[in-house]
Parts: sequence; C-alpha cells; structure tokens
Amino acid sequence: MKKSLKRLLIDSATKYLYIALYEDLECLGKYYQSGNNDHSTKLMVEIERIFKLNNMKIADLDEIIIGIGPGSYTGLRIGVVVAKMFGWNNDITVKTISSLAMIASSYSGEELIVSEIDARRGNSFIGVFKNKGKGLFLAEEELLTNLEDYTNSLENPYKIVSNGEPNLERILNSNLLTEVKDIHSLNPNYLRITEAERNLK
Amino acid sequence: MIVLSVESSCDETSVSIVRDGKEVLSNIVLSQIDIHKAYGGVVPEIASREHIKGITMVFEEALKEANIDKTNIDLVAVTNGPGLIGSLLVGVNAAKAFAFSNDIEIIGVHHIAGHIYANQITAELEFPLICLVVSGGHTELILMKEHYDFQKLGETMDDAVGEAYDKVARTVGLGYPGGPIVDKLAQKGKPSYKMPNISLGNNYNFSFSGIKSHVINLVHNTKQRNEELVIEDLCASFQETVSEVLVTKSLKAIKEYNAKMFIIAGGVAANKGLRKKINKRITMVKVVVPEFRYCTDNAAMIGIAGYYQYLRNSSTDDMSLNGLSRMKMK
Repeated sequence: MKKSLKRLLIDSATKYLYIALYEDLECLGKYYQSGNNDHSTKLMVEIERIFKLNNMKIADLDEIIIGIGPGSYTGLRIGVVVAKMFGWNNDITVKTISSLAMIASSYSGEELIVSEIDARRGNSFIGVFKNKGKGLFLAEEELLTNLEDYTNSLENPYKIVSNGEPNLERILNSNLLTEVKDIHSLNPNYLRITEAERNLK
Repeated sequence: MIVLSVESSCDETSVSIVRDGKEVLSNIVLSQIDIHKAYGGVVPEIASREHIKGITMVFEEALKEANIDKTNIDLVAVTNGPGLIGSLLVGVNAAKAFAFSNDIEIIGVHHIAGHIYANQITAELEFPLICLVVSGGHTELILMKEHYDFQKLGETMDDAVGEAYDKVARTVGLGYPGGPIVDKLAQKGKPSYKMPNISLGNNYNFSFSGIKSHVINLVHNTKQRNEELVIEDLCASFQETVSEVLVTKSLKAIKEYNAKMFIIAGGVAANKGLRKKINKRITMVKVVVPEFRYCTDNAAMIGIAGYYQYLRNSSTDDMSLNGLSRMKMK
C-alpha cells in the first residue's frame, strides 16, 4: 500500500493567514482568516492547535508548501521563517509557490485570473493565471504595477482575485511549485529592492 | 540547564547555547554592520531581510560549535523586545518554530536584561548593584536588589548616549557607526572645547540632545568662520562631558543605595574613555564591565538573562509570544 503524504501549507503574504494540514487530499485541519497585523501571534498558535488536534508532530510531515510572496509585508517573512525553520530542523522537503498562485488557485472560472496583492502607493503585485484541466498555469510573468492600468490593457475576459482559500488539488496539478534544494537559501520573493537601496543607486 | 537563545532585535543575527547561565558553549553572531554602513545607519527593511537570510545557518553553526544535540536543550530564550519590529519578528518566530518542533519550552527576554546579564559571564553578580545601561537606544541607571529584579532610577529624557555619539560622528563626517570612531579620536585629543552643562540637576535622569546640538552648531560656526576644527579635541571634549555625567550619576546611585557592585551594559560599555573614567573614579565597590565581544548585541547574554528569568519566575511563554518594538522591563 502506498504511504500517504502529509503536507503543511502556509501563506502569510497578505492580511489573510492561511494554514492547512493535509493527508494526501484530505484536509486534517486549517485556518484561513483575515488578520490585523497579527500573523506573528496567530501562525504558531494555529499550527500548534492543528497538530495537537491530529496528535501529530512537525517531524511527521513529508512536505511543506510555502507561499513566498511577492511582497514586502512583514507578515510574509513570518510564514517563510517558520517554514524555513521546520524544513531545516526536521529535514523536511520544502516547496515554494508564488502567493499570487495560491490566491489564484481559489478560483475555478474559465477567464484569465488576475491575482493581486496590494503593494501600497497605488501599486499591486500582479500575476495572471489560467485554469486548464485540473491545474493552474501562469499566463503572464508576475509584475508590480497599477492594477487598473494593467486590467485596462487586457483584451480577454478576466477576473480579479485578491483573496480566497487556496485549492491544494489545483496547486498540485500545476507546474508552479519549486523544490528548495538548500534550505538555508529559502527567502521571500520581494520582487523589488528596498527603498533605501533604490535611493542609493 | 542548557538554554538555546536567539537575538535579532537590530542588525545582528545571533544564536547561542549557554549552560547554567554562565558557560557559553557557542555564540554565533552574524553582523550586518558592513551592509548598513553604506546608508549611514541601520535600514529596518534591509535588516529584516538579512535576518531571515541567515537565521537557520546561524542556528546550525551554534549547535555545531557547542557540539550539543537538540534533545539536550532545556529552554529556548529569545529577545522579544524592544527593538526593530521586523527584525524581532524573524527571531521570535524562528525561535517559536524551533521550540515547537523540538518540544522545548520558550521564554521571551527583554533585550536590556540581556545586556545587563552579559556581565555575569565576567563575574558573579552581587546585590544590591547599580547598572549603567548605555547603548544606541538606551541610557538608564538601574538598581538591582536581587537576580532579575530591575528598578529604574533614571533614564535619558531625549537621545540615548550612543545615538548622540553617532550624530556627533556624522556631523564631523566620521562615518558609521560613529561611537567607536569618536572614542578612538578622543584618546588622541584634549578636552579643550567648552561644552554645555548637561547634569540636569540632582536626579538620575540624563539629556544628550543639548550637547549634540552644541557640537553641531560649533562645527557649523567654526566652518563659517573658516577656522580650523581640531576633531580630536572636539571628540575628547564631547566624550569627557558625556562620560563625566554618566560616572557622576552612577557614583551618586552607588552611595545612595549602598551598592556592592557597579556594572555597565550596552554597546557604549565598549567605550574606552568611559571605561577609563569608571576605573579611575569608581573605586569603593567592585566594578564589572562586560568583555568587549559581549558589549554589542549577541545571543549569549539573552541565554543568561533567560536562565535567571526562568529561575525567578519559573514561568514560560506560549506560541502567542510576540515581538514588541517597545517593552517594559519586568
């Protein structure tokens, strides 16, 4: 009999915090809620709750899927550092995925999916995806721009998705996961350098 | 009791392993100072990015150097404030994830308690003691009647002493971090420039914004008059006035509270001019200064403070432990 695969999914790139524990495609416990700059107090508390509920330890995991942004929201680093620590401490396979793809996976429609994360000052991190069969595919490279300007330039029907609970099956059937080879190198995808570095140039 | 500790409140990522609040088995410090130099100060967002980049590597090094198995660790201690919030949150969440993965209890430690307990590496603390906390973010006189009991006697009303040093250095064009450079130049100069009185009367509070403005104006006026500025003498004058007020108020507290010991803590504890003055003037009680390498931010001091905090309170934190940019010492 094939052994089942236990996975932990985390995405903390937006004000929504997503945590889910899966055994294959069965969800054993989850948390998906909008927070108020409190990922730091929520993330480990909810992970502890979910694992205790299932009488499981981090060491029982086979894989971690972590949303790595884009973004520079402080909350993003909280999810990534926790995934990094679990991966390093227990030698668990960690796979990264764009948080924009995580958000896009919540939508099942046929149109282009314009997945968006607020980047402040009128800008958004944008990724354009499309559902094909059971999976999700990246239609346009991720970028940082004004959402309205961007959607005005689109000719095909589209749907803007800014939040939504990720769909594991769709994520697994996509080609958007990247396995982390050296756990020490796991970092968020900031997509842009800091303001201080921009000003220095 | 073996404590693994984590410090990430500013621009050093550090993990340490300490046995029984005394024996430092490892103390790995990944400093970002060279990265922030280009900006003339710590850039919070860059600091946060560097912390997450290095954190697991620093954990790995600390365990390797201590030659300790994770199963032998009894407690995780982490700085949870005060400091840069984005930086703190990396260390706090890494520490929580580590503690949870290995089923170890965790406690949050006050950064300044850590600086104070850096002295415990040098000598056994004796009470009552007076501690002068001097760093880039703090200037305080603290009375300790026993372990992990802190009573603030006074503090700065405006700039921290280290901040004043950095600003003076910047005004004269000496680069960052300015404290050590001013200290070095001061050794070569004479305190010939007149400085304002910064004693603030007969209490334990401090103020350094006045002398900072005075130096800025002095530099400006000297330049306007096309006169030569003797930077060494300026540094010596500034340092003499600042260290004089620090030592005078410390002496007053030592006498008033019948202290048996005087200790200094914080990054400015590395200042040679201040150390010299302390050694010369404070002779009636045992004086302890931390080793140079434990003056700046490091996790060993957090592990020691955490050990004594645990002994005193015998309580731990849970997974809701958060980082706090401002935090009171309990």
